[in-house]
Parts: sequence; C-alpha cells; structure tokens
Amino acid sequence: MEETSAVSSTGGIAEQKKRELDASFFKKGILVALFSSLMYGFYTAFITAGESSQLWLGWVSAISPTAFLAVFILPTVASAINDSASALWALGITAKQGKLGDFGRTINTKPGIILIMSALVGGPIATVAYIIALSQAGTIVVPIAALNPAIGSILSRILYKQELGPRKIAGIGICVLAGLLIGSASLTGDSSSNMALGLALAFVAALGWGAEGCIAGYASCMIDTQIGITIRQCVSGVVELFVILPVFALVGGVSLGETYGYVGAAVTDLPTIACFIVSGFSAYKSFASWYRGNSMCGTALGMACNGTYTFVAPLVTWIVVGLIMNIEGYALAPIAWIAAVVMIVGILTIAVDPKELFGKKEAA
Amino acid sequence: MRPLNYAMLKYFTTVGEAGVDDVMDALKGDYAGFTAFKRDKMQEALMTAEKNGLIGESRVDLDGNGGLRVFYTATPEQRDTINSYIK
Repeated sequence: MEETSAVSSTGGIAEQKKRELDASFFKKGILVALFSSLMYGFYTAFITAGESSQLWLGWVSAISPTAFLAVFILPTVASAINDSASALWALGITAKQGKLGDFGRTINTKPGIILIMSALVGGPIATVAYIIALSQAGTIVVPIAALNPAIGSILSRILYKQELGPRKIAGIGICVLAGLLIGSASLTGDSSSNMALGLALAFVAALGWGAEGCIAGYASCMIDTQIGITIRQCVSGVVELFVILPVFALVGGVSLGETYGYVGAAVTDLPTIACFIVSGFSAYKSFASWYRGNSMCGTALGMACNGTYTFVAPLVTWIVVGLIMNIEGYALAPIAWIAAVVMIVGILTIAVDPKELFGKKEAA
Repeated sequence: MRPLNYAMLKYFTTVGEAGVDDVMDALKGDYAGFTAFKRDKMQEALMTAEKNGLIGESRVDLDGNGGLRVFYTATPEQRDTINSYIK
C-alpha cells in the first residue's frame, strides 16, 4: 500500500515538474518571439539611419523622389548591404559556435532546400514586391502587408495541421486590426495611377512573409536555428546583391558601374556602413528569433508576437532617428499607441486559454 | 554524417521510446564534441519537435536524483514524416 502511494507520489511530482518545464518552454517561446519584434525595430531604425547619412541624403537630394533610382535602386542597395552584413554576422557567429560543418551538411538536404526556397520567397521576392507596391500604390499598401501573420497562421493550418480554434482566430483578427490601425496612420493619399498592381504586389509581399514565417518556422524544428538563419541571410544577401540589383539596373537603364558605385561608396563611408553593420546584426537576431519563436510557440502565436513590429519598429526608429539623431518626421501618431494596447489584447487572446487560467486558479 | 538535429530525429525512427539522456548516449560517439551537444539545448530541440508534431510524448518519470525524465516516441506516421525529410 505504502509502495503504491510512493509510486503515485513520484508520478505526481514528475507530472508537476513536466508542467513547470512546459510552462517555462512556452514562456521562453513568447519572449523569443517578442524579442524578434524588438530587434526588428532596431533593424528598421538603423537601416533608416544609414539612409539618413550625409552621403545618402546627398544622393537623394540630387535626384527626383519619383525617379527609378530613388524608388527602386537606392532602397535595394540599402537592403542588399544590410542583408549581406547580416549574412556575415550569421556566418561569423555560426563559425564561433562550431556549427559551420553542420551548416554545410544542411544546405543540400530537403529541409535545407525548403528553407532556401522560403528565404527566397520571404526575402528578396516579398521585399521587392513591397518596394514596388509602395512606389505604385503609395502607403495604402502598408496595412495590406500587415496581414502577413493571419496568412502565416492559415497556411500553418493547411500545411502542418496546426490547431487554429475560434480563440486563436479571434486573437489573430485583433492583431491584424491593430496592424491595420497603425498602417492607416501612414496613409497620405499619395497613391498613384497603378493602384491595382500595387495592391496585388502588397498582397504578394504579405503572402511571401506569411509563407516564410510558416514554412521556415516548421523547418526550424528540424534545423538548428543558428544554421537556419545563416542559410536565410546568405540567400537573401547574395540574391539581392547579385540578382535583384543588376536586374533593376538593367530595367531602369542605370549602368551597372553606377549601381555598384553606390554600393561601394556606402560600404566605404564610415558613418553609413556603421549603421548597416548594426542594422545587419539586428536583422540577424530578429529573423533568427522569428524562426525560433514560430517553431516554439506555433505559427499563430509566434507571428502575432512578431507582428508587434508594426508598433515597435516605428517606436525604435523614432527613438534612434528622431530623438537621438534629431531628424524630424518620425514621431508616432497617437493611434499607434492605441493600436499597441489592442495588439497586447490580441496576443493574450491567442496565448492564454481561459479554461487553463481559471483551472489553475481553482487548483491553487 | 548528418547534422546533429537530424541525427536526433532520425534516432526516433529506430527506437520505441527515448528520453534526452538516451539520445545523448546513442549519439555521443559522433557528436560529443559538438557545441550544441548539451542536455538543455537537446531537450529544447526535442520539445520543439514535439510541439511541431514530429514526435510525441510517451511518459514522464523521475531519475534516481529526482530529476525529470521526459520520454518521446514516434508513431509510424511520424516516422514516415521524419524519413521523408531526412534521408
């Protein structure tokens, strides 16, 4: 009898310890996903700072704001330098962690190839679609791109049978609404004639980022996150620098010499490259945490937590560029603060099961 | 030689059930020198795989020192999934 009671007590302690382990894993997943949003804020702030250097402002002031060079080539130069710097950070840290061997062994495997494809879709393709969408339809595309957490969650339900009950759907809806509120604050009525193309491409961007979050998150349960993010940043940096940039140069009738001249000048200008080195590191940490958070929490919660970047990115940009660098025009609209509260409500709706919450209180 | 995370998952296609200590015992010959070959990191990798449905939790108990042991297993369907991704 005593023996039976001892076994039952041991089983009870084991179950209790397992619940604690699960709770700590869940909490860590949410913190990792929220950290990805914070680092996305630093990435946005420092890439904006790089594009606000004396050198960069000199280029922009010398050309028309609607010129092909200003709309397509210079933003892609910034993105390509940032992603290449990010890839170097990722490679260096992978080497320091002694994982370069596993990096090489992973690339030519099925999960490695899936990760490369999702990096292509979410990296260069979605980013370029977004840049063109902005130029064709104006800032009305911003809230459309903010639909990506909802798209990622729906794809996870279809592709990986991840649970998506009414509570999670409601939470995602609240988060998307908050993203739309922030996006609507950036509406300036500057839409151009090619609205349909712009809106379609904004949806392509949202689809690309949603697909990346869902597919790469799943691949990250097989691939070490550090190796996964190194693959992602290398693919993105190389494709943007050696494929997208020359294609844009050819389409826009800008010579390759002039295009890569901007890259060379930015890389050798200390204030500019210093900003891109910081933005590249922030992007590396942000995307690594995004993949890891999605694989630990599930896509719906991971992407909802990461989706707070729609508030965090302008907030950090305002602090770094507006307050520290003293450049005007980055203050947050009041609606952004309201949307931030709405987002927190949305995340709590996804993360907290009322049955479990009240069940625990009763048990306590 | 497979990457460490692949080897961990592949191991579950060859055994009935295993905990992180069993996985470490089985893989230490090839992977003990890896920086990621640490109990907490490997436990987290197993929990992530379980969260994503690649393996399932079978039972929990305590070791001689009162430490928690979590055991995982892969159903035939999960083994097929692992084998389809990892050769």
